[in-house]
Amino acid sequence: MLPADLEQALAPKLGARLVGVEPFEGMAGRVRFRREAALDLFRTVREDLGFTHLSMVGGIDWVDHREVFYVVWSDEANQYLVLSTDLPADDAHVESASGVWPSANWHERETWEMVDVTFDHHPDLRHLLVPDGYVFHPLLRSFKLHEPEELEVKSRHV
Amino acid sequence: MSEMWINMGPQHPMTHGLWNLRVRIDGETVLDVDPEMGYLHRGIEKISEDRHYNEVITLMDRTCYVAGLAWEHLYIIAAEKALRIQPPERADYLRMMCEEFQRIGSHLMWYAAFVQDIGLMSPFLYGMRDRDLVLDLFQSYTGARMTYEYMRVGGVRNDLPPGFTDQARKVLDWLIPRFKEYDQLCLGSDIFHKRCDHLGVLSASDCIRHGVTGPMLRSAGVKRDLRKNRPYSLYKDVDFDVAVADGADVTARYLVRMEEMRQSVRILRQVVDWLDAHPGPVMAETVPRWMGAPYAPVGREGYLLKRQYPKGVGFSSIEEPHGEAQAYVVNEGGEHPYRVKFRSPVFANLSAARTYLVGYHVADIPPIMGSVDVCVGECDR
Repeated sequence: MLPADLEQALAPKLGARLVGVEPFEGMAGRVRFRREAALDLFRTVREDLGFTHLSMVGGIDWVDHREVFYVVWSDEANQYLVLSTDLPADDAHVESASGVWPSANWHERETWEMVDVTFDHHPDLRHLLVPDGYVFHPLLRSFKLHEPEELEVKSRHV
Repeated sequence: MSEMWINMGPQHPMTHGLWNLRVRIDGETVLDVDPEMGYLHRGIEKISEDRHYNEVITLMDRTCYVAGLAWEHLYIIAAEKALRIQPPERADYLRMMCEEFQRIGSHLMWYAAFVQDIGLMSPFLYGMRDRDLVLDLFQSYTGARMTYEYMRVGGVRNDLPPGFTDQARKVLDWLIPRFKEYDQLCLGSDIFHKRCDHLGVLSASDCIRHGVTGPMLRSAGVKRDLRKNRPYSLYKDVDFDVAVADGADVTARYLVRMEEMRQSVRILRQVVDWLDAHPGPVMAETVPRWMGAPYAPVGREGYLLKRQYPKGVGFSSIEEPHGEAQAYVVNEGGEHPYRVKFRSPVFANLSAARTYLVGYHVADIPPIMGSVDVCVGECDR
């Protein structure tokens, strides 16, 4: 499966909500999509393209926006695929993938608490690795390892 | 009897590390479970953003303290892809040797802890005794028994000491009959079968739905091993079989891990022979000296020099002893990675706890969780 094949399979279903498919070393490609397409894309990728196994969900804080990426795997094609979407930093939310791949559950909980991205319709969005009531999001770039005092003043939660 | 929630952990013989399994029970029957993680969260992904590429290796040993070299291998592949560095062939063989010895070491640690959970004491001593031989080998060429810091971006730190390969062969020759001994101790014991057969059943489709990988997936009959499916390093050059079983229960997971150790010995024999016959460099020449040198002769200042690498993202996935581990390293051109994300197989295997624990009895929880092989360090990161 090549990036061009992926684009051909996904473009008719997603239309303008598909931003593009790029080559990615060691994978079938990297699908960039707008968040409105999330559920349609997840279903198409799982049911039509055969990527039955979701390996991980992660978030990246690019300061001006946030990125959420999903790594999925297909046994038939013996290939990985990465799906990624850019979200505005002040309104970072995307549809949860846990209805399509139940394995997304914990990965999304972790991404939510670490990178401050909300997953809509997640069945159980609770803290996982940090204690309940913890107000910081440690994997944001604004969380500095060496200046904890400064952080407390800057945090939007305080 | 009325229902209630009980805590198994964070201090409980079953947990093997710090985590808490909340269990809702009716009498002795498990109705629901809710694993509480995070007791061992050290923010390894965050600390990595503040460190030089080679300094992250130190953290990898501590991510999973029973499979440190496997995690080093995982990170190194991703970092080399992100920085576009190609290691020499001998370094790749040395890394494979590390990973396979580490698999044996990790599985022996699992074996020792697991059989003790189900009430057999002497296999624990045998398992720990034989694991020590593997640790002795690690000590002879990395200098450490647990936190090795052996691999480097672009190769490995040092070559093998003289006489190492003979010693390694002796250990492999010793191990093969020991596996038979383990089987006699466990599979020949009524206690083992009464506590393990038909417990914790997780079918192949449930495994895939919940992202379960590694020995748990192979015990359900799915022949998926990244060393075979998507060979990394030079696994395509060595000959071995993928261990599978079809019970999908605790006994099947035991059988898969035992067979994996035998296959690791088979791989190691080929790797050790290759290393004997092919001397050569263990560090890529394109790597700047300040980056690959074992003792950083340029000092701290050298690390702070502004060096530019082409931007890129490195992704790697390896068959770690617990399952499929992945690393996603984002390089933005600086001397620190911009973002590092790790996928821990134990994290995914534990997230499916509800599917393989509900319906069994409270006394079944220790053998079932033992068969999952929980390493909290890599789950919480």
